[in-house]
Amino acid sequence: MEIPFVVEPRKDTGLNNSKIGIWLFLASEVMLFGGLFSGYIFLRIYADYPWPERTLPVLPGLINTFILIGSSVTVVFAWVSLKLGQWRKFQVYMAITIVCAALFMVLKGIEYNAKFAHQAIRLDDYTVVEGHAHPQGGSHDYHAPKKNFNISAESVQINLSRVDDAYYEVMGKQYADGGMVLASKLTLNDGDVFEKGTAISKELIDQAKVDYLAAAANNSEIDIELGREAWAALKPKFPGKRYYEAVEGSKTLSEVVSAYTKELKKQRKEDYQTTTPNLTFVPNTGSASITVNPYWGKLSNPKEGDKGTLKLKDETLISGVTADSSIALAIDGIDFRHTVMKAEEKGIDPAAAVANSWLLKDEKINKIWKKHELITSKLKVLLEEDDREPTENDIYRINWQEIAGLQETDIADLEAMDYHDILALYPGDIEGFAGPDHKKIHYPEVIVPREQVRFESVFSPRWNTYYATYFTITGLHGLHVIAGALVLAYYLFFGRKMFEQRPEWLANRVEVGGLFWHFVDLVWIFLFPILYLM
Amino acid sequence: MADSPEAIKKHIKLYTLIGAVLFVCTLLTVAVAKFEFLDFGQRGFDSVDAIIGLLIATFKATLVALIFMHLNHEKKMVYWLFGMGLFFAFCLMAIFAFAFSDPIEFQAFFGR
Repeated sequence: MEIPFVVEPRKDTGLNNSKIGIWLFLASEVMLFGGLFSGYIFLRIYADYPWPERTLPVLPGLINTFILIGSSVTVVFAWVSLKLGQWRKFQVYMAITIVCAALFMVLKGIEYNAKFAHQAIRLDDYTVVEGHAHPQGGSHDYHAPKKNFNISAESVQINLSRVDDAYYEVMGKQYADGGMVLASKLTLNDGDVFEKGTAISKELIDQAKVDYLAAAANNSEIDIELGREAWAALKPKFPGKRYYEAVEGSKTLSEVVSAYTKELKKQRKEDYQTTTPNLTFVPNTGSASITVNPYWGKLSNPKEGDKGTLKLKDETLISGVTADSSIALAIDGIDFRHTVMKAEEKGIDPAAAVANSWLLKDEKINKIWKKHELITSKLKVLLEEDDREPTENDIYRINWQEIAGLQETDIADLEAMDYHDILALYPGDIEGFAGPDHKKIHYPEVIVPREQVRFESVFSPRWNTYYATYFTITGLHGLHVIAGALVLAYYLFFGRKMFEQRPEWLANRVEVGGLFWHFVDLVWIFLFPILYLM
Repeated sequence: MADSPEAIKKHIKLYTLIGAVLFVCTLLTVAVAKFEFLDFGQRGFDSVDAIIGLLIATFKATLVALIFMHLNHEKKMVYWLFGMGLFFAFCLMAIFAFAFSDPIEFQAFFGR
């Protein structure tokens, strides 16, 4: 079948069909990204926390911009080559375009990877600390947990209607290692008996679960049956009365029926089965160490040494004494802006709020802060000459360059130095290409007790709305890059035959693919300044 | 669209030039954000920086759209399609902007 209007324009539109198709698609894409951009703008305007301004390392973003612009030029040249009938040139330009796309994605991957390895903690007083979390308890095992809740468990209560296989699979071994045994004798309706002290097992829980659910179903069926029986018996005695109307003195029809149902239930007592909704296990050694990833549950009292309960998302309750659940963080960023914001809301002096913050009680960090105050004062003097003043970022945020650059310099030496000389001590952009590199530079470590942690997350969409929009928009854009590169690669690797038979067709297809590619570039042209520079 | 081989050959130089302008503009965007002496308005990021940054980005995007995407000599239908897309995207932003007239914050707008 001959496909019409592949090359020649239709009379009504003046365009060939593929052109119409791609422009319709691009119009929908404009609205899609437009929506995301407006989402970003309004999240930023109404943010209830200090927005992370100019927080991303610029270099990867800048290189990616160059890569995309370069590929936009080469894709046009690839199309030009086809129009001039130069297959070899087309191959070269198109290959460069695809290599550019691959490079773009590699850089994006490096950036994302750095974010996912970078930890942030919002402390109880809203100070934000950033860095790399080390394994808990001073372990040198790289794979050891970094942020787990630890509890010295005295009992584990399993909710039989909610217990989840996925949770038990991971927790089961810990329960078994901890010597968890039944706290009291368990008699099931099928006659099986488990004595007090029976070791915890998946089979035991499964059997108890099946028994409980069957018993609960049986009992509820009897309840429904008796309820119906009671209504059927009493309704005709009070014709025309609604359930909320009084029928016997001040008692409503509903209350009378409910009292009668109770009587009926007493008569059928022997038909009811025993239900055991929860199983309680205790460690045979008195206590057992349990460790849980914070995403799986919540610790009621995070203070070490206090009584606490760890509630998993499947309603399992692990009670005992909270063990050390602190986070060891090698700090590469400190931000007091949120502390200041909250202090101002409460009418407290921001300087006092910062000075009294928990973080500054640490001697190492206090030294860093003292140096930072000195630098800010020098900056202030410098800016006053131009009638300017330091920003909140300047005053209340310490970035990794400052921490890394001034580690070896004493505050007395800094006092004698000029502001620009101090800046010269900071490591350059290349040294922290996609973020601070903890392998090259040793950052001060602070042990953050769990009760000081208000919220913690790696720099993922979970951390705040800035990162949520950053990952959404750049992720979607990255998918467009991959899709565009695949289409263009198809023309490169499978276009030869069409080039020989119908060169105009291929040129048209490359033009359409190129239009999409330019659009991808166009989106990035806005993304780069908005996300990296504003 | 003038896409005869002769016309296209003439455009090659233009495409290279536009590529170079885009590179320079990108460097300029970074420079105005990074260097103190190019920071107009207050120190740090402020509305002036936002306007300058977005103006440069819009200029770059316009070049890409006009030259690389050939919007400088397209058929009427394309302008309609793309224009409608842009129009509705701006409408969407305008709808969001109504959040500003929240009656709780701006009682005068809806009366008391």
